[in-house]
Amino acid sequence: MAATDIVGIAVTTIILGSIYGLVAIGMTLIYGTLRILDMSQGSMVMVGSFVGWGILVVAGLNPVIAIAAAFVATFILGALTQLVSVQPLMKRRNAIDFEMVTFITTFAVAMILTNVALELLGPQQRNVTPVISGGVNIYHGVNLPYQSMAMAIVSITMMAGLGIFLARTRWGMAIRAVAQDLDAARLMGVPVGKLYPLTMGLASALAGVAGVFLGGLYFAYPQAGDLPLLEALIVVIFGGLGSLPGTVYAAYAIGLIQATAEVLVGTTWSLPILYGVILFVLIIRPYGLLGKPSEARL
Amino acid sequence: MSALPNRTEPTPARPALTRTAPPRSAFPAMTPARWMVTGVLVALAAVIPLVMTNQYALSVMVTTLVLLVLNISWNFVLGVAGVWNFGQLAIYALGGYGAGIIMLHTSLSPWLAVLAGGVVAAFAAVLLAFPTLRLYGIYTSLLTFAFAEVIEYVIVNDGSGLTGGTFGLPIVKGLYASLSLAASARAYYWTVLAVVVVSTIVLAAVGHSRLGIALRGIRDAPAYAAARGVSPMRYRVIAFAVSGFLAGIAGGLYVSYNQSISPSAMGLTPMSIDVTMLVIGGLGTATGPIIGTVLLAIVQTALVSHPGAELTILGIFLLVVVVFVPDGLAGLAARYWRRVSTWAAEDDQSGEAAGQEVAGQEVAGQETGGQETAEPGAAAEIPEGSPDPNVA
Repeated sequence: MAATDIVGIAVTTIILGSIYGLVAIGMTLIYGTLRILDMSQGSMVMVGSFVGWGILVVAGLNPVIAIAAAFVATFILGALTQLVSVQPLMKRRNAIDFEMVTFITTFAVAMILTNVALELLGPQQRNVTPVISGGVNIYHGVNLPYQSMAMAIVSITMMAGLGIFLARTRWGMAIRAVAQDLDAARLMGVPVGKLYPLTMGLASALAGVAGVFLGGLYFAYPQAGDLPLLEALIVVIFGGLGSLPGTVYAAYAIGLIQATAEVLVGTTWSLPILYGVILFVLIIRPYGLLGKPSEARL
Repeated sequence: MSALPNRTEPTPARPALTRTAPPRSAFPAMTPARWMVTGVLVALAAVIPLVMTNQYALSVMVTTLVLLVLNISWNFVLGVAGVWNFGQLAIYALGGYGAGIIMLHTSLSPWLAVLAGGVVAAFAAVLLAFPTLRLYGIYTSLLTFAFAEVIEYVIVNDGSGLTGGTFGLPIVKGLYASLSLAASARAYYWTVLAVVVVSTIVLAAVGHSRLGIALRGIRDAPAYAAARGVSPMRYRVIAFAVSGFLAGIAGGLYVSYNQSISPSAMGLTPMSIDVTMLVIGGLGTATGPIIGTVLLAIVQTALVSHPGAELTILGIFLLVVVVFVPDGLAGLAARYWRRVSTWAAEDDQSGEAAGQEVAGQEVAGQETGGQETAEPGAAAEIPEGSPDPNVA
């Protein structure tokens, strides 16, 4: 393995890991707080891509506005998703199948969003202008586009921002309180009813911002969320559902595995190899890297 | 947010959609009356191709029946065994590709190729079962979902030419290569209908056998079942194999009828439709897959010119049914039927009947009446010999 390969792998790891982390951390946040797995997270990436396309290409505005608009749009959509597909089921939340029922309802929301996009905007792939164009040659032939750099920086900033939000602010602490002990949180006066849509909106907004960048990297089209959803699923299983640090580690670990596989054996087999590694990890640790065994196992 | 949710982790008990009101007659005992109704329905279904001359309608019906075989197989692992396997479409596609590749490259009888597709799929299902069954709950669905996506990804990106990538297999002969188009469509219709009937009956019989009771026991009370010596791993691997084999047969029938198979047979969109069919029909019931598949096939055919609107409507359907009718249309029908029978029984016995729909908990003696036991623990609360309107 040449030195350029190693530099290439390192750069790709940081970029992939950051973007996976941004999509997956929302899923973990939702799972930790509401105990549901949000399958509509991929659609939020798609919506973010289309908002990015609308603002950058159709309206021709500033990328900062695009990111802000994607954040707001997916925040509202995420909160609405919670109200429509999860809130009516909350009275059944002690049932063992609650996770599965909400898995299906959020899946239905994903289906609706994807197909509304298909009906309104058509199946064609749309080019989203990169937020920043150009790139820099960092090491003999390893080119680093500014777009990727911006993506990694924004992702890491947002993940750090989420960490600070959860650790320091009133609402963040309320989310953590609910994740730890719902009844105690309620008794302390945490407005749980408002908190759930807020959490899901926030998580969806992170995915939406990721969508603006992913749209620049690939395209904006109705199924643009499928692959990010799959990757985020793999990240959250690998990291252990409900564990934020586990998700961040897993995102970079998976970025590393995928980057290495891409350099060594090519793009086609990187996903199957990744899957093989995950399978191996799950056979040894069925609850992921940092997941709690009691939640995952009988 | 009405009731205060209890935050303690619930004991894993019944990972199915039917927690609140379990479908009690999920696999009803076959009384003579039921045999007759079934027989008449099957006979009616068998006559359709003789009456129907519209080739398009017939082809839609064959496609629906193939899908029904797949859904019956999926219902077995999802509803009866209670394993949230979302990789069933990949197993189905593997069966289809297996059968198709054998038809293309060997001179074996196409019937053997379809059977071989079933065996390939059963093998794949068992391989999937071992890592999957180590996981619990939501992890299971994640892993199997990822498995399906990866299989699709590998087939789409296959450069070796074995599967034909995105475009699928070149034209295969199929089962009835020697017949004319119209005659072969009819022949396929009857073949797939026979598979549907046989698999429904066999799986309903399995539902009453030791295997079915063990599977439902593991689904409803895993710790208790394991403590009584019912090995969750062993029985669930068997369930995966049975369900995988049937899914593979469905795949083989698909590749024969369509004379090709491409990755579009699997993936997120067909899976969404199949899940919707199963959930709307009623998971874990014998009639649920049939009701759901036929109903949604009709909706789909009506909306065939608006592909986006079709799935949007299905999504809304799915949302509404899960929220308001958690046990599906089969469960809804069973509940209404039970209520009507209860009224009839009350009239007969002049108010003696205790069948006040005690949250649907009246239970006949365990399996003796051929009735399925309801919720675990429910049987203990019911006084002995309480009249069950379904038995009468």
